[in-house]
Order: sequence, then structure tokens, then C-alpha cells
Amino acid sequence: MPLEPRVESHHFEALGTTCSLFAAGASRGELLEGEFWIRRLGARLTRFSPDSELSQLNAAAGRWVEVGPELEILLRESLGAFEKSGGLVNVAVLPSMLAIGYTRPLSDGTVTATLEAAHPAPALPDVLDVRRGEARIEPGSALDLGGIAKGWMADRLCERLGPNALANIGGDLNATGAGPDGCGWPVALAGVTLMLRDQGAATSSTRRRRWGGVHHLIDPRTGLPAQTGLDEVSVVAASGVDAEVVAKTALLIGPDLAPAYCAAHALAWWWSGPDDH
Amino acid sequence: MRTVLLKVGATAFTIAATALSALYVTSHLKNSAAPLRPPVLSASRGVAFSAGGGTVTVGPSVQPGNVQPVSSTYAS
Repeated sequence: MPLEPRVESHHFEALGTTCSLFAAGASRGELLEGEFWIRRLGARLTRFSPDSELSQLNAAAGRWVEVGPELEILLRESLGAFEKSGGLVNVAVLPSMLAIGYTRPLSDGTVTATLEAAHPAPALPDVLDVRRGEARIEPGSALDLGGIAKGWMADRLCERLGPNALANIGGDLNATGAGPDGCGWPVALAGVTLMLRDQGAATSSTRRRRWGGVHHLIDPRTGLPAQTGLDEVSVVAASGVDAEVVAKTALLIGPDLAPAYCAAHALAWWWSGPDDH
Repeated sequence: MRTVLLKVGATAFTIAATALSALYVTSHLKNSAAPLRPPVLSASRGVAFSAGGGTVTVGPSVQPGNVQPVSSTYAS
């Protein structure tokens, strides 16, 4: 009888959320290196620090700015997500997020909610140019990489942690390999356990990060917090970043179109509306 | 005489190859009754059930489990 691989786990707070790393056959030191990688990258990609790479790009107002390889990849992923979602997953919603008061981490205290200055987001390819090692954003536009960054980081972390690992960054996760006992990684989705193997999962929701009657999930078509008839969508897809894009798109297209969309793009899915609490 | 033999031989070989190829192709026509879709697409399209105050649909490439989950997806 083959021995089951020993699974090492590590849990910590980073990027304003809870992160969990699991790896079969990896050392605790390797998981700690994963944590440091998240923290280093998070510091470069946060919009809440004026010194971050992303903030400097946002502030460059039309000038080409040098970007590191990770930010360059994430910007290209964001353009791909815009394309795949028909424009619904648009990282250029930051001006609307700022307009409704999401100007600092919500853990720093409540902010004032206003809707007057919010406006529809521009098409991302119209305001973002990326070339090798450089990027440019049109003046007046700004980006928040949000869930795309978390899903992408979960995918990359699993690559770093070896062939049998799970990385969960605030609910955006990637499960690679056969899991602890060879049947996949047991992951809960809406209270149901699913055995994930070389798959990702993510949840998009309007029930968290709320303040003053608004929430953080912006509908780029209006620039306002989304009101589509769905409150929360969780999906399993081929990767963490794919799951993030599909979950957010399904939530934004609403209950009439989400079933067909999820059937075409997700491997498993769950949703809930305002009446389903 | 030798040239004529070579020409006749080459012609006969060509005709024979053509005839054999035609026979081979006609005897290996695609079976019109063969399934046109890979089996995975004719597998179950997934099961749906109520859970967590909503509806879960699990497609054929994801297996439900009955063990304690080590992690979960959630809104953060």
C-alpha cells in the first residue's frame, strides 16, 4: 500500500485577506517562501500604497512606465479577461471605486459612500497599452487588479509549491495535483465538498466589503455597484484566474444569462440571489 | 525492346497502384453511423441541487467528495 504524502499547511493574513497554502511533500520553509512571495508581490501591486508599481502606473497619466514582469503579465491577463467577459471584467473601474468612497482598505475604518461621481468605465483596450517591460494608461483612467491578481497569484503559487499543492488567497484558489490521498483536493463550495484536481475556484460577491448601502463590486457598464439579481457566485474552472473571471462575469450578467454562461465556461458553479439568504 | 518493356511496366504499375488505392479508399469509407462527438460530451451534463441558500451545479469533470474539506472558496 503506497504511503500517503505528508501535507504541510500554512495560514496567514496578507493582501487584506486570509491566505492558506498546502503542499504534499514540501517543507515548511517552502510554504514560508510562498508567503514572502505573496507579500512582496502584493506590495508592488496594491493600489493603496502610492509607492507601488501599480500606483505609479496609475499616476503616470499617459506616459510609458517601466513595469516588472509580473505586472506586465497581469496587465495582459486583464486585457484577456476584458475580452473573454465581453467587457464585464474591467480593471479600469478604479475611478468609480474611488468615487463611491473605496479609497482605502475597509479594515482602516468606514468610508463615505457617494454615487454622484461614478461613471461607466472606459473599454480597457482603449485606455491601456502594454509592450515589453512597459505600460501606459490614458490620463483620467486607473486600474485596480483586484481578484484577477489573487487568482493569478494562486495559480503561480501552485507552480512554485510543486506538483501537488493548493493555494488559497482570500477564496481565489488553485488546486494542483492529486491531493492528500490521490482523489483530488477537497474544497468546499457553498457547503458542498468538491474534489479539485488541476482546477481553480473563485467567488464573486456583493455581500462582503459593504459600507453605507453600497458594495465594492462595480458594474463597468454603469460605474455603480452591481445590482443584477445575483448576490454571490462561486465557480470551479480550469485555473484560479479563469474562475475569477467566470464568477464575476456570471454575477454581472445576472440570473437570466448566468446559467447558460456558467454551463459553457465553468466546471461547477453555485449562485445565490437576494431572496436566497 | 527494353524501353518498351519499361514503359509498359511503369504504366501497368501506375494503373495497378491507382486501382488498389481506389479499392482501399472505398473499403474504408467513414462510417456514417459512428458517433460524431467524443464520449465526454455525451456524459452527464452535471447535477444540480440546492445548497448554501442557492443552487449548486456540478459538471462531469468535477467529483463531489464526502471528506472534510481542507479549504474553501468564499467571498473576501
